[in-house]
Amino acid sequence: MTFRAKLFWIFTFAMLLSVGLIAAGVILVTREAFEELNQQHSDALVQQFQREFERRGQEIVNRVQGIADAEATVRMAIDLSRPKSDVSIYVNDASGVSRAHQLDILDFVGNDGSIISSAEWPARFGYKLDWVIQPEDWVARGAFLMKTETPDGSALVLVSVASVRVGDNNLFVVGGRRLGKEFLASLVLPAGMRALLYLNLDPTFQPADLLDASGPANDAERLAPIIQKEQQQPGQQTSRINWTSDPASAEFFHALPLLGRQKELLGVLLVGNSQREAAILESRIIWLALAVTGIGLLIGLLLSWWGAARVTRPVRRLAAGAREVAGGNWNAHVDVRGGGEIGQLGRAFNQMTQQLIEQRERLLQAERVAAWREVARRLAHELKNPLFPLQTTVENCQRAKEQNPELFEEVFRESTGILLSEIENLKAIVSRFSDFSKMPQPELAAVNLNDVVRNVVKLFEAQFGAVGRPPITPELHLEEELPAIQADSTLLHRALENLILNAMDAMPAGGVLMLRTSHKDGNVQLEISDTGTGLTPEECDRLFTPYYSTKQHGTGLGLAIVQSVVSDHGGRISVESETGVGTSFHIELPAQPPRRPQTFPITYEKQKVKEAEKETKEA
Amino acid sequence: MKLRLCLCLAAISLALATVPAETARRPRYGGVLRLEIGALVNPPYPALPATTPKQAAAKEQIDALIYDSRNREGGSGPFQVAEWEPGKHATLSANEKAPGGRPYVDSIQIQMGRSPREMLLDLELSKADLAEIPVEQARQAADRSVRVSMSQPDELLALVFPPGRAATEDARVREALAQSIDRDSVVNFILQKTSEAAGGLLPQWSSGTAFLFPTAADSARAKELWAQIAASPKLVLGYDSGDPLEQSVAERIVVNARESGISLAAQAIPPAPAAGAAATPATATATPPAAFDARLIRLSMTSPLPRPALTSLLTTLGGMTTIDASPLPDPATPEDIYNRQRAVVSSFRVVPLVWLPHVYGLSQRVRNWKAPGPGETWPLADVWLDGPPDAASEKEKP
Repeated sequence: MTFRAKLFWIFTFAMLLSVGLIAAGVILVTREAFEELNQQHSDALVQQFQREFERRGQEIVNRVQGIADAEATVRMAIDLSRPKSDVSIYVNDASGVSRAHQLDILDFVGNDGSIISSAEWPARFGYKLDWVIQPEDWVARGAFLMKTETPDGSALVLVSVASVRVGDNNLFVVGGRRLGKEFLASLVLPAGMRALLYLNLDPTFQPADLLDASGPANDAERLAPIIQKEQQQPGQQTSRINWTSDPASAEFFHALPLLGRQKELLGVLLVGNSQREAAILESRIIWLALAVTGIGLLIGLLLSWWGAARVTRPVRRLAAGAREVAGGNWNAHVDVRGGGEIGQLGRAFNQMTQQLIEQRERLLQAERVAAWREVARRLAHELKNPLFPLQTTVENCQRAKEQNPELFEEVFRESTGILLSEIENLKAIVSRFSDFSKMPQPELAAVNLNDVVRNVVKLFEAQFGAVGRPPITPELHLEEELPAIQADSTLLHRALENLILNAMDAMPAGGVLMLRTSHKDGNVQLEISDTGTGLTPEECDRLFTPYYSTKQHGTGLGLAIVQSVVSDHGGRISVESETGVGTSFHIELPAQPPRRPQTFPITYEKQKVKEAEKETKEA
Repeated sequence: MKLRLCLCLAAISLALATVPAETARRPRYGGVLRLEIGALVNPPYPALPATTPKQAAAKEQIDALIYDSRNREGGSGPFQVAEWEPGKHATLSANEKAPGGRPYVDSIQIQMGRSPREMLLDLELSKADLAEIPVEQARQAADRSVRVSMSQPDELLALVFPPGRAATEDARVREALAQSIDRDSVVNFILQKTSEAAGGLLPQWSSGTAFLFPTAADSARAKELWAQIAASPKLVLGYDSGDPLEQSVAERIVVNARESGISLAAQAIPPAPAAGAAATPATATATPPAAFDARLIRLSMTSPLPRPALTSLLTTLGGMTTIDASPLPDPATPEDIYNRQRAVVSSFRVVPLVWLPHVYGLSQRVRNWKAPGPGETWPLADVWLDGPPDAASEKEKP
């Protein structure tokens, strides 16, 4: 991944993260605001319910007290206080009084707790309401919730008790109103809210006992968990019901327990708050946030792309310059402006390439001098050996001419033979130098390296086991499936000859010469190892330097030629050696050499050498 | 007891007052008797059948005024139809050629479809001379200074278990319900002590053996029986939707039953056509619908004599439930009558509750009225009016 792409993705990720966080924050804050609003609505309705509850309670207290204070009731109380009074004449009184005072529940209860007359269940006369005669300050109690029995079953009523005392006897008036759908219908609810009342008349949840303003509530079973929770532990609680998979159908329910005189749970008021409006508004906000995010992302992506390109442009120029330098063009120059780190880096790069060029020039100069010195030393060394016999032979001829003319002829014949022989040596030396300078370009053809190795080894077989010389045992480990490569077999043959000759020279006491071929990643590898004397690290460093030799009579061109051949094939050569153990050469050749072999340094070297030779000639 | 004592004293004083008056003063001819009834009675011709038992009973009484009992076809009763607006009112004029002699009053104005409250109010305001009063309001009427005339208790309010109901096929279920009922509270509170608790199928005044049938509730026995029933059924008690007394009694029975642990609910039976009701005079109600496990019915005596009364009653009950409705031997001994009653009551297919009298309210000017007994008709031909007619009646005179 490029630096620009990395920068782009970093910018994009950072932007996505920030936009996402902002959007999430907006949604969260909006949702909290809605929930707070819902809570306020629910609280308001609960307060309204409580106020209405108290108002109705006070109304019932007043009505019941009014009945107790009525003349007819007082007369009834006086009559009932008499011994053997006939209570049957009052059995139907409660119905008329309850209608007159608009009460659903009205019972006249005697001093012993027996019902004298009941409006809600006239047939209950004679039965007892024991709780009424228990000692309690009914005036202070006010209105309270209770469960009462009616012909239709149990009912939840808001009641009040008043008493008329005549002598030692009390006549109790128990009056109240049902708590049901009529009560719910009287509540003024804001839009989207509704109130439900559960009459906790049975120990278990009964769907029919959950009422709304029109009667039994629909889908009452879905609200059962809230009611059951209240039945287990009464207290205010809030729950969310999702009626369908649509979030807009959700409804928040605020549950308010309705407790009786003994703090028993008699009912549960559920204030439902529809989430439809909130969900629609929230959905709009989310879509708006998404749209803004999308547009912001698009703009951000473009800006990121532009910014990344702007930031990485000098870096890309630097990278291109570095590649040029790596490719050999040390004249590469990077045009970097600005005073930032990138600008400083560009200027440092340009300075570095300039210094590299200068140092290379100096190095070349030094190497050139060293090479010429080496050539001169070698030439002097190589030429001195034949010259000495020539000189002595010529001097012998002169001495024979002057001192022994009779032997001159014989001496002359012998001397000319020697002269010719030494001249041949000189010519051979010159020829070797000439050959090195005229290394041909490889003529590529499909070559199996194994064949080349076998041919060369076959050529040296006689020398490996020559008489009077310690034997050298060749070991071939040639990979059978070695792929063919494009190479010049003659040059490879010549390079291999040089390596084997070096190995033989390194094993004067005999040894093992191991040749191994293999291939890896499309390249063919050749390893040539001997068990000779080995090389020092300093010798290894200079081993491929032309005209450098560790041998007494070496020209120093053998391994230079090997390196030249390997380089011309686009390959690499390296050496590993340990003194007293042996030396290993590793050659790696590509299956297909580059069209123009990357031999820039060598070509460059050659060019420079040519230039140097030209300069020398001119000098 | 107090009321009964009062009523007896009132009746005695009325009788004492009437006898000297009749002997001392001659009956006065003329005047318009204003009669109010609750039913809507069809005119005698064309002879349309009655649709409710009350209508049938009222029509029977009015027809008896028009037709001679010996010659119903001839129309030679003490009164003749002068005007009849169906469903509103009718006017019967005195038949000068009545076989038994001309009635004392000139005519009878009959107001139909009057509610008990309206009739009581009209009696109180002297806008009516004679009206039927619901038995449960008799005491209230007396307290409001209305003259009250009461017959012998001759109408039986009973609980009947129709056959074919799985829930009540077990006799223990029926007995448990019967034992739970507190008849005394019905008599004392709902009926304001104007009736008698019923244990048998005939009243004490007729059979003389009614006291042998227990009427007290036995809640413990009811609970014990109900506990013996493995799968306690939920029972439904039906009552006539147009009868407030039946509703009150039914609700009280429900309260009593629940007190004994019996699951019972009261449910009103919608009005059903009673096409054949006219054919069975003085007997009540249609066949109980099969949707009820038990229902309340009213059974009127057709005769003051025990044998025909019980025979008629058994015939009616035989059409409602599975009892022995075979005719009693003729003549039947009191033992036969008692044993038959005992057999029916012991089956708990029929549970007698209370004996109800017929109660009439009279204005102060009505004389010579006697509440009719079982099988008797209104003695309006013998009634005469004392004192000046009220202004309303005078206005209506031409």
